[in-house]
Amino acid sequence: MTSERTQGWMDGIAQGLIHRAARRVPGALSERLQEEWLADFAEQRGRVARLRFALGCYWATNAIMREHAAAAIPAASVANGGGNFVRYPKEESTFFTGRTVTFVLVASLHVAVFYGLAMGLGQTFIKAIVEPFELRRIEPVPRSSLPPPPPPQLMPTKFEQPPPEVMPPIESDPTESVQTAPPEITAPVVPRLPPAPVNRVQGGPGVGFPSADDFYPDMSIRMGEKGIATVKACVNGQGHLTSEPAIIQSTGSPRLDEAALRLAKSGSGHYRATSEDGHPVSSCYPFRIRFELRN
Amino acid sequence: MGKENRDVRMSLQTLKVLEAFLENPTDQLSGADVMQRSTLASGTLYPILLRLESAGWFVSRWESIDPSSAGRPRRRLYRLTPTGLKRASEVFAGFSRTVHA
Repeated sequence: MTSERTQGWMDGIAQGLIHRAARRVPGALSERLQEEWLADFAEQRGRVARLRFALGCYWATNAIMREHAAAAIPAASVANGGGNFVRYPKEESTFFTGRTVTFVLVASLHVAVFYGLAMGLGQTFIKAIVEPFELRRIEPVPRSSLPPPPPPQLMPTKFEQPPPEVMPPIESDPTESVQTAPPEITAPVVPRLPPAPVNRVQGGPGVGFPSADDFYPDMSIRMGEKGIATVKACVNGQGHLTSEPAIIQSTGSPRLDEAALRLAKSGSGHYRATSEDGHPVSSCYPFRIRFELRN
Repeated sequence: MGKENRDVRMSLQTLKVLEAFLENPTDQLSGADVMQRSTLASGTLYPILLRLESAGWFVSRWESIDPSSAGRPRRRLYRLTPTGLKRASEVFAGFSRTVHA
């Protein structure tokens, strides 16, 4: 019962849609389409199909109005229920078609906007939108409202008082007045000058440094291994190692790398220290050890 | 230039409608019949039918029945004109040549 009622209700909506759609088409074509669509609507099976059909008819009027709105149907043919076939010629379209009206509306809107802008409408809007600019001065926060800063941590400082230089007593003239307070001495402010460039000469293996041939592993010689190791050495001013040397670029052979480290260690004391302005200084620098087979 | 010679824009949907009529060119079909054969929706079908009718490819008439005795409204029946049949055949023949070329 409820289903039938629902179907009747939906059919009513669908038929209403068809009536409304057909009425959108001007002229006698409206009556023809209404009758035609209602007849085809009756052949649709199912509520959804009927509703879809009606919605489609409503949609179809958009295209039909564009293409056939001006088509005139002879009144006789509408009333004629007989079997005569009738062609519906497409007449010349009227001036106020949908496209023309839309074009006129869009053009009018453009003209109105440009006219408004030309007459200062934009400035009026800007004045209405922009709020007055206000300059405020931010008042400093009073110190009393701030939390007290943490007490400074004072480290006890020991001042070593140099022994007083014994100076020969100066016989003062008893007539001179005695100064009760020492004069205040203010140190002159000396501008900092940029440091002078340092003449630095990097160190390296020096005189008496062992030869790589003495450390060439026998196994490497037999296997024909050769290569160049880059070793980093930290050396003091006397040419002694201050830390273990390290391989920073391998020869490709662990045996040769190990031999290079042994060589670098045994050379301690025979390194040439780095010099700055002619003075030897401690430094770290890389140097290369070449292991090559000679005939 | 007569209306029969007016060109019709050949969309896929228009071809489906023509194909439905070419199954048996002498058939007179209502919109509901064409919907069933072409599987087109009503919103697409009816503008095409009117367009082809306006171009002279179809003619239409009301069904010759008495609605009260038949118990249903009369339908609008469409039929291919000789010109429409010729043009539709040419269109499909052109497609066949294109496919088999």
